[in-house]
Amino acid sequence: MSILSLQDVSKDYLTDGQPVHALNGLSLNVERGEFVALVGRSGCGKSTLLNLAGAMDFPTSGKVLVDGVSTSSLKDGGLTRLRRERVGFIFQSFQLLHTLTVFENVELPLLLAGKRYPREVAQERLAWVNLEGLGDRYPHQLSGGQMQRVAIARALIHSPSILLADEPTGNLDTTTGNVILELLRRLTREQNTAIVVATHSLEAASLANTLVRLRDGKIEEITRC
Amino acid sequence: MPLFVLFYRLMVRPLFREPVRTLLTILAIALGVAVVLAIDLAGSAATGSFRSSMETLAGESDLEVVTSGGVPENVVGTLATLPYSIRVSPRIEDYGVIVDTKKALPLIGLDLVAEGSAYAQSETQKTAESQTQDDSEHVFEHLGDADSIWVGSSVGYKTGRRVELLINDQVRKYTVRGVYPDSHGNESAIVMDLAAAQNALCRYGRVDRILLKVPGTPGLEDWQQRLRTVLPAGVEVRPQGTGTNENRRMLAAFGWNLRLLSYISLVVGAFLIYNTISVSVVRRRPEIGIVRALGASRGVILSAFVGEAVCFGLAGALIGLPLGRLMATGAVRLMAATVESLYVSSRPGTIELNAESVLLALVIGVGVAVASSYSPAREGSQVSPVEAMARGRREYDVRVHKARDLWLALALGLAAAVASRAPAVAGKPFLGYLAAILLVAAAALAMPAFVDALTSVSSKLLGKLFGVEAMLASRSLAASLRRTSVLVGALSTAIAMMTAVGIMVGSFRQTVVLWMSDQLPADLYLRPAGSAAADRHPTLSSGLAEELARLPGVAAVERLRAYEISYQDMPATLASADLNVLRSYHHSDFFSGRPKAQVLAELRDSNAVIVSEPFTYKHHLKTGDSITLSLGETQASFLITDVYYDYSSERGSTAPSNLAIYVSPGAQLDVVRAEIEKATADRRVLLFSNRDLRSEAIRIFDRTFAITYALEAVAVLVAVMGIAGALLALVIDRRRELGLLHFLGAATGQVRKLIRVEAGLLGLLANFAGLALGFALSLILIYVINKQSFGWTIRFHWPVEVLLGALTVVYGATVLAGLYPAKVAVHLNPLEVVHEE
Repeated sequence: MSILSLQDVSKDYLTDGQPVHALNGLSLNVERGEFVALVGRSGCGKSTLLNLAGAMDFPTSGKVLVDGVSTSSLKDGGLTRLRRERVGFIFQSFQLLHTLTVFENVELPLLLAGKRYPREVAQERLAWVNLEGLGDRYPHQLSGGQMQRVAIARALIHSPSILLADEPTGNLDTTTGNVILELLRRLTREQNTAIVVATHSLEAASLANTLVRLRDGKIEEITRC
Repeated sequence: MPLFVLFYRLMVRPLFREPVRTLLTILAIALGVAVVLAIDLAGSAATGSFRSSMETLAGESDLEVVTSGGVPENVVGTLATLPYSIRVSPRIEDYGVIVDTKKALPLIGLDLVAEGSAYAQSETQKTAESQTQDDSEHVFEHLGDADSIWVGSSVGYKTGRRVELLINDQVRKYTVRGVYPDSHGNESAIVMDLAAAQNALCRYGRVDRILLKVPGTPGLEDWQQRLRTVLPAGVEVRPQGTGTNENRRMLAAFGWNLRLLSYISLVVGAFLIYNTISVSVVRRRPEIGIVRALGASRGVILSAFVGEAVCFGLAGALIGLPLGRLMATGAVRLMAATVESLYVSSRPGTIELNAESVLLALVIGVGVAVASSYSPAREGSQVSPVEAMARGRREYDVRVHKARDLWLALALGLAAAVASRAPAVAGKPFLGYLAAILLVAAAALAMPAFVDALTSVSSKLLGKLFGVEAMLASRSLAASLRRTSVLVGALSTAIAMMTAVGIMVGSFRQTVVLWMSDQLPADLYLRPAGSAAADRHPTLSSGLAEELARLPGVAAVERLRAYEISYQDMPATLASADLNVLRSYHHSDFFSGRPKAQVLAELRDSNAVIVSEPFTYKHHLKTGDSITLSLGETQASFLITDVYYDYSSERGSTAPSNLAIYVSPGAQLDVVRAEIEKATADRRVLLFSNRDLRSEAIRIFDRTFAITYALEAVAVLVAVMGIAGALLALVIDRRRELGLLHFLGAATGQVRKLIRVEAGLLGLLANFAGLALGFALSLILIYVINKQSFGWTIRFHWPVEVLLGALTVVYGATVLAGLYPAKVAVHLNPLEVVHEE
């Protein structure tokens, strides 16, 4: 069973009273351990696809199944549980909480899920992203690359089945961005976690197992490497 | 004009995008303005434009002849036969109660016949509109009748109506012979012939006051000099209305303190304007950068933010105006009751919302807004365009100089301590007020350090106790230290004043309770029926005390008689009592600490008096000093043998005018009471048991301070509204963070809890700070401001239950203030807020 399955998914928005078709009858399956890169111009539907995959939004028609469970069938509690247990998010602008230390940022999903004593897990995840010893720092004391590593550690804290990354290297220089992408590929392989990356970066696209080219809310081309 | 267009687009229009927050800020200002205005209007009506009820129908007299205990009647003849063209108007002045309506009105006896047709004609001419010609003739016809009275039109009686009046402890029947227009009740009184009034009040051979209308030349002082030569010793001639002016002076401290109390809401409002403009500056930093880069000067930026505050102030003032007028109606009722209970019988004037009041509202609304917005507005104008265009709301959070502010707070605290030790200036506790203001300022400056220390310490603990939401809430408050400090400062100021006044009133109440147990040792108390006031001393029939003393089961009857006097241009009450009874039963507490038997013996054996504590304070007297009193036709000097505590009024009195009845040991109180009721059945008297009298005293006490509680409640309401508005702003500013929590697995309830916990933490911090500051302020209120204003010694007492109740209510209100912001937080779309950057 695919970890993520989008079946004939459409998503429409109303902008200033005008309907906008963000996704148009799109179907896609993502398997465990697979590295999928979504590419295409701005507004082609990459972010919308990630939001649907992360159960943060719902399709206008069609189905989104995460680990076999349709997101549209879940209520608020079920959706929260799904995000807590199966999905991890990484953002372009890192989205760390500046009031919390590195440790506390990484632990946050576990604490929100009511898990006790998350420090050990946080330490382990920080080791995965080579940030041992920086746990007590605050985000403003880190470089951009380090902040994104913290975000990755946070996204992996609860061992999600699928990692969703929206332009994870968009705010980083090329060298740092490449290091982050390599890290993502290594971790997903080691942890058998699927990753879907929305990106403009050719480097990111080149690392992917599957390259999905979007255009006007539809899949224009799928390339499996 | 283009600048106004820009101002509207950049500053005013955004306010409409957050209508709830904008409205909350405006309402907070409006309430502050309304309270100040209400107290100002009500104060003017109840105390400022104070006019003694006894000035009713005083006409345009120039001078008055008075003395303690009444002017001998022959003085009227002396004055009338002087070779000058002087109009002499003797008056009897007291109070009567209309039995049907229980309304107490001034009872004025005038020598209607001697006044001649001029007075009668002018009065009847005034009533001509409502009376027939026949009625006017009847007026003259019944001038000398003992049962004739004239009443003001607002009483609602017509000519010929039979009316029962309670005068002292007797009910008598009268016939209304005429009705005069009384300016909507302001001149309402019961008028009767002088002889009839003397008869009704058993005040034979004396009149209370003689009003004189003298020719224009020579001047009044010359006339006073000239007339003094013909008056007996002890009888004083002074400008008419002196009593009113004395009362006005006496009411000044009361009015002052209430007015200052009303400014608390405004101070709280100032904190909130400061916060609102600070938030505005932070939010608009990129805009500041762009506008500066496009050519706007620092002055334009400064004016823009001050202008924003002016909008809030103006809108608040405009709403506060009608609100204040409305609140003044309630306030004047409470103030008038207090004036009557503690000071003097008076009639509140009409509440007038005139141009002056409108100006006051605008000045305080806009003035407070401008003053409190200046600092953040200036800060906004100081940032460079490049810095402003760069992202960084953290700029706002970190620019707090905790250590420097803490040192300043310490310095201000020390200055407050020094100011609190200084004596009164011109009889007013100006330095006491200064000490209180310095303490509030010190607390505001110490707030960042206090908030930082407490949130740092509590963050982990809160996380363990209440979950990750509490930890996040605590961190968020600590991170927004300046904003948090201002909010806690606003609420804690309101709480502090509530606590301080609560402790002061609670201590005062407890002191009164203890004092009553010393001062009211009798089993039963008797006084004439009718409403009580500090300056009214209706008398009981002579012989009643002896009659009651003979009843079985009565051990002793203590007679107390009080008179209104004037001492050193201030009203006071002179009282005499049975020293034998006092010696046997009283447990009075004297300042010297000497046994009461010794003090009372000195009182009996020499020309000596004891005086109350407020009296000594007002007139700067002490034990061993001498006072000279005008008594009837003599002036006598008395030695002050001791000073006693007194909380019955602020007048400097010695005792109420009534009978205190002691029941014999072994006699049944109920039986004795029944006997007394039977013996007084033909008189209108009120008989109180000791417990009832104390309850009644406490009821009056609580009513007196109701207005202070009302003012505190408004200040707290303003603060809570400010908290709601600020939390709303906090939610909007932190929408990215709140949205992110959804991505990280936070449930809707957890986001809601986070905001509620923040509200709760703000409330908790404010309660802690407010309680500490309130305690310090209560010491200044009790030992400095109260002492210097009123002269009362109040024993400190923690009114634990009252404070716990009030603080719980405030805390609950703060948590409730977080409900709407929490709802807004929950409904934020995480997709929009996280991706918008």
